[in-house]
Amino acid sequence: MSTPRPGVKRFIGLDWDFGALRHASPAYWRWMSVLSVFFALGLAAWYLLLTQGGEVLNMRDSSPWGLWFTNYMYYVGLAAGGLIVYASVHLFGATQFAPLSRLAVLLAGVIVMLALLGIITDMERPWRAINMVLSPNPSAPFVYTGSAAGLYMVLCFADLWVLITGKGGHKLAHTMTLIALPAAIYMHTTTAFVLSMNKSRELWHTAMMVPIFLTSATASGVALLLIVAYIMQKVTDLEFKPSMFRSLATLLATVIIIDQFLLLVEVLAVFWPTSAMPGHTLRLEQFVTGRLAWAFLPVFILGMTAFALLAKRTTRHLPAVQITASALYVVAVFFKRYSLMAMGFSVDTLGQSQPVYFPSTVEVFLALGILALGMLLFSLAVKVLPMKVPEHADPHEPATELGVSA
Amino acid sequence: MAHDTRPTQDENPRPAQEPACDSSHGCASCAADEPQRTLSRRHFLKGVGVTAGLVAAGTVPAFLTAAPRAASGSESTDAAEIPGHETGIEHLTEHSGEVNYPGKPVWYADEPGDEKWAMVIDVKACVGCRKCVYACVRENNIGRESGFTYIQVLEMELGSNELELGNVDYEEGGRPDKWYLPVQCMHCAKPSCVYGCPVVATWREPDGIVVIDYDKCIACRNCMITCPYDARHFNWVEPEVPKNEVNPKVPLHEKAGVVEKCTFCVQRTRNGMSTVCTEACPVGARTFGDLNDPDSAVSHILRTRRAFRLKEELGNEPAIWYVG
Repeated sequence: MSTPRPGVKRFIGLDWDFGALRHASPAYWRWMSVLSVFFALGLAAWYLLLTQGGEVLNMRDSSPWGLWFTNYMYYVGLAAGGLIVYASVHLFGATQFAPLSRLAVLLAGVIVMLALLGIITDMERPWRAINMVLSPNPSAPFVYTGSAAGLYMVLCFADLWVLITGKGGHKLAHTMTLIALPAAIYMHTTTAFVLSMNKSRELWHTAMMVPIFLTSATASGVALLLIVAYIMQKVTDLEFKPSMFRSLATLLATVIIIDQFLLLVEVLAVFWPTSAMPGHTLRLEQFVTGRLAWAFLPVFILGMTAFALLAKRTTRHLPAVQITASALYVVAVFFKRYSLMAMGFSVDTLGQSQPVYFPSTVEVFLALGILALGMLLFSLAVKVLPMKVPEHADPHEPATELGVSA
Repeated sequence: MAHDTRPTQDENPRPAQEPACDSSHGCASCAADEPQRTLSRRHFLKGVGVTAGLVAAGTVPAFLTAAPRAASGSESTDAAEIPGHETGIEHLTEHSGEVNYPGKPVWYADEPGDEKWAMVIDVKACVGCRKCVYACVRENNIGRESGFTYIQVLEMELGSNELELGNVDYEEGGRPDKWYLPVQCMHCAKPSCVYGCPVVATWREPDGIVVIDYDKCIACRNCMITCPYDARHFNWVEPEVPKNEVNPKVPLHEKAGVVEKCTFCVQRTRNGMSTVCTEACPVGARTFGDLNDPDSAVSHILRTRRAFRLKEELGNEPAIWYVG
């Protein structure tokens, strides 16, 4: 190996191009400073929470989980896109996604980290989280989803390392996929378990929650990846083929309609005369015609609009259409997560209708701070790490060099 | 796994037998055929059950805890069917040790004894005065501004036990056109909150009391999600109790930022006293006692009155019964 370019530091086998930061445009630094401000506000919010206690939150006994849990489900889902794209390159030979693989895995790793940060910052005594390791309870779904998210994060960053360094060649990359894909499914399944394994919460208590989580995760994850890919194409020197975007859009449309279908049949089961039970209908009515319809109906409205946009053969190759549809579904899934969270709590276990939960300012800034941290890390990584997959590289043999000549 | 093993326990040949014999009156060949068929069927079911059981036990260690429970459940049912069986409610106390995760001793109470604590609430007597609620708040150092009480009394509609029609925030009790249903921690034999706690910060003591380790709780509030009785409450604010009203026998500041709930007044009941809600009730609607003692008041009531438990269909097996 020759000497690296100036500004490039070698660390854990990767070339960190810190020189790129020196030459970064003012726009990049403006973007980074805005994010830093939000990150600082998030830190302040966390400090307030730790010193003042739960008083500063809007969660109460009627809604013991709030925005952090909505975001946990949301982020875990968004992180799905990365590994699915990465896995389909190596497992199903979907070589059109190969240029996206590094970006996809980095995005997945960062996002699942945000999910974990959400749990940690929600605890009033975060240092007690060590008890999850010291005395885990095998019958608690939380243990599984928490450990799955941790495992997934490590796997994503390991995959990124393998992709960039090319160590182990095609064989290792393939093996990593065989580990990573089941891990992704395990994570989404166990996250669904946190809801579905509760006989106390009528609307959560359905095994359908697992497939719904898998499809929502895939749909929102792919949609986010599509948007990020367009942004990266605009602001960095990464370039993707229109055919890749078309493949992503087709995949997205397919998953969206499955996702909508699963949710619809679940709703149908609640209201169908031969299956309707007062405990279920009373709760879901609030989300269909009642005071929480604003949170639940958009899932279908935005979702079906997104599908309609992508279904039209003549226009679905247009970037504007793809981006709009993806954005609609990313938002739709957030509404879905919020409704899912609220469905457990809008009527409590003693049948008492409870006030609608909205996050407090502290909760919002905490969530924004976590999101800003994720964006900071992602923006930084995209700048200093070689995200570009070398042009004519065989996807089965991740190239070794960028910035370094082999 | 409980589902998988069921076929071996049920082993009921009747479904196969009955239709054939009903259609043919005294058909000898049919009767001779039957045992053969049912026997093989039984063997087959047994094989399926055992295989499924082994597979489940091998793959999902978490559910291993379900095995002894299912077994003891079926045994106790058998015991209850024995003619001349002494109390008839002994099966209720059989579920002893399933979820006694080894927790640390409750430092503010004595060691658990041989009792199996239970409570019976007479909803015909209850007038909804909430005296039990207030007594409980004082006894157990519940923060006066914390926004919850261990006991919640529901004002129920006549002719219905639909919780959704009930109201917790009623103005004052004693209305003749309503009935009242006090709800608190049921100290379930199969407490879903205990199963759901990710760090084993809550467990069921040998005397049936479900307790929480305030120093271990990580405040994830998953137990509040899994409890079907809304019995668990989180200290969102620092629990504040006027200095002269603090009960020195019960923790106060340890409860900040963690989950708490009814403890069956563990600090009293393990010292020969009754729970404070039982003592405070002006109409004697509450009875507290030891299920293991056939002469105790609760055992007597459960033998002689028609009792039910709240949401019994969920299978948590609460230790609080209601009689009407």
